Amino acid sequence: MNWRKHFVEAATLIVAAAACAMVANAFASKERKLVVVPQSAPRPVVAAPQPTPEPIPQPTTTAPTTATVSTTATTTTVNRPPATVPKKPTPTPPQPEKTFNPHPNTAYIEIHGDDVEALHKKGSLFLDARRTSVYDQGHIPGARPYSVWESDIDEKVNKLFTERSDPRDQNLPIVIYCSGGDCEDSHMLAQKLWGIQFNNVYVYKDGFPDWQKRGLPIHTGSAP
Amino acid sequence: MMQWLAHPWLTVRVQIALGVIFVVAALPKIVDPPSFAHMIYNYKLIPWALVKPMALLMPWLELLCGLALILGIWKGTARTIIAALLLTFIIAISINLLRGNAIDCGCFDVSAANKTTEERFADMRLVILRDIGMLLMAAQLWYASTRERALT
Repeated sequence: MNWRKHFVEAATLIVAAAACAMVANAFASKERKLVVVPQSAPRPVVAAPQPTPEPIPQPTTTAPTTATVSTTATTTTVNRPPATVPKKPTPTPPQPEKTFNPHPNTAYIEIHGDDVEALHKKGSLFLDARRTSVYDQGHIPGARPYSVWESDIDEKVNKLFTERSDPRDQNLPIVIYCSGGDCEDSHMLAQKLWGIQFNNVYVYKDGFPDWQKRGLPIHTGSAP
Repeated sequence: MMQWLAHPWLTVRVQIALGVIFVVAALPKIVDPPSFAHMIYNYKLIPWALVKPMALLMPWLELLCGLALILGIWKGTARTIIAALLLTFIIAISINLLRGNAIDCGCFDVSAANKTTEERFADMRLVILRDIGMLLMAAQLWYASTRERALT
């Protein structure tokens, strides 16, 4: 076997493939383009703690903006002193968040459907981390397409930063979702936003499939 | 039996079939590199910095090697690269199967399928078998060419 010939042919194929890839990528549309130049890589995912209820109401001006989710669970326990609250032996299903305060030490907090619904009613910003083509097929009303895999993601994140340049705005809740399950796109986007001082980011753990399951309104098309 | 395995009638058909499979597999990835990059990322085997270059390069390499096999140009090299790719896929999917990471293989379709974890695991086992089958096709090509060289 002529190893030299073999090696030259292999190298030629690889170089040709690289050249074709670069040319094709240069002419690809925004949604189909990959930005290979160093981009902010997703940092190692910070362990996302389960939402911890914050019992002390904040006496700041931001207090009225914090969402209060009225559920039967919260109304029954609200006036009891903590010591008398009976301890349940089995873990209860995820409780809705009562407040959505900034959490600068954590990139994001995972939340579930009830909290998401509350934040949606409150008019919080929703970002859809799925691919734009999937977003067009159906998304949460008001959500903006922010796919982490598309070439314009940094541009969109920068635009959001400009839009919310005031530190108070940066502490407003932002909800990010993708397809639920193993989908990590929303976590990656949350890391990205946290990296530029957005300190109140929530990840909709069960994602868009859960929203659909709940029978909540859905918008289709490219408009939020 | 061994003589039949190296028969030109069989070799040409295996060569074209393997080439067509790789061309067909490459096209959806070339059309939508971000989705393929996502698939590669889900394997959690390579550093982030390499995910996107790999998503761009690999489909074109598959396409060129597939075309080389179909057209009968640089057959030996194309076959070797394809065998190396198949071996890599088998190892990558096996590692994820062993560590319980259910993924879509992204072999012929790069759109995220709404499958359950069990369905994904079943698919991964099938993909390994399919890739072993294709690896055997590449082995047949190698055997036929070795035998042909020995006879000449």
